Amino acid sequence: MSAEFDVEFIERDDRSARFLVRGLTPAFANGIRRAMIADVPTLSIDTVRFIENSSVMFDEMIALRLGLIPLTTPLADYEIGETVTVALDVEGPATAYSGDLTTSDGLVEPADKNIPIIKLNQGQRLEFEADAVLDRGKEHAKHQGGVSVGYRHLQRVEVIGDRGEFDEEEPHILRGVIETEDGELVATDEFDNDLTNRYPGKEVSVTDVPGAFVFHVETDGSLSVEELVDRAAESIGDRAAELKDAVSV
Amino acid sequence: MSYKCSRCKRDVELDEYGGVRCPYCGHRVLLKERARDIKEVDVK
Repeated sequence: MSAEFDVEFIERDDRSARFLVRGLTPAFANGIRRAMIADVPTLSIDTVRFIENSSVMFDEMIALRLGLIPLTTPLADYEIGETVTVALDVEGPATAYSGDLTTSDGLVEPADKNIPIIKLNQGQRLEFEADAVLDRGKEHAKHQGGVSVGYRHLQRVEVIGDRGEFDEEEPHILRGVIETEDGELVATDEFDNDLTNRYPGKEVSVTDVPGAFVFHVETDGSLSVEELVDRAAESIGDRAAELKDAVSV
Repeated sequence: MSYKCSRCKRDVELDEYGGVRCPYCGHRVLLKERARDIKEVDVK
C-alpha cells in the first residue's frame, strides 16, 4: 500500500458523495467501509418516558419509531454514552412529526423534520420525554450514521478495435465509474450504464484499476459525508494505536 | 382497578365480588383506564 492516497470527488451532495481513492488495498477499503457503518457514533433516542399516550399505538411501538429518527450529532461536544433530552407534546387532531421534537441542545435536532411519528385524532394526545444517547452502529443499527456505504473497483475502459460488421451489438452493462483512455472519470449512469451507448460500434476491454476504489457514501443526515469518512479513518487509526500500545507493553 | 364504562363513559371502580357491570347503566363492557404514572420504555 502506498503511503499517500489520491482522493478525487466525482459527486458531492449534503448527504451523499461518490469519490475515488487511489492507493488502497481491498482490505483497507473494506476496513473503511465497515468503520463508516459500525464505528462512527451518532445520537439516537434510547429511553422514552411516556407521560401520556392516548393514541392508537402502544408505547413500545412509538418508542421504536422514535429510535429510528436521525438526530444531528455534534461529535466534538459529546462522548460515547452521553445523553441529550428530547421532548414532544402534541394533541390531536394532528400528526406528530419529527419536527415537533424539542431538544435540550440547540445543535441536536431531527435531521429530517417531516418524519411522521403518529396520527392523532380528536382528544388523543402524545406527550413524552426521552434520552438520546451517543453510541456506535455496532451496538445498535439505529446508531448507524452511514446508511448506504459501499465501494467498487475503478474500471478502465479501452477501445481495442471496431466491432465486426455482422456482429450483433449486445448491451454491455457496467455500473459505477469508468476511467477512459484519456484518464477522464465518467459515472456510468451518464450513458445509461451501457458501454455500447458510449462506444457505439467499438470493441472495448474493461479492466479493474489496481488499488483504485470508488466509494459511494450516503448518510442519514446525522453527520456530513466528510465527517463520516474522517471519523471512520480516525477510528481505524485509534485502534491501530491501541494495538501498538498493547504489543509494546 | 379503575375502568370506564364504554356506554355512559363514567368512571367505574370494580371490587372482587361485584362482577363486571357498570353500577350506573348496567352495561357490561368496561374499558381499563391507562395508569397515570410515567412509563419508561427502552428503545432496543
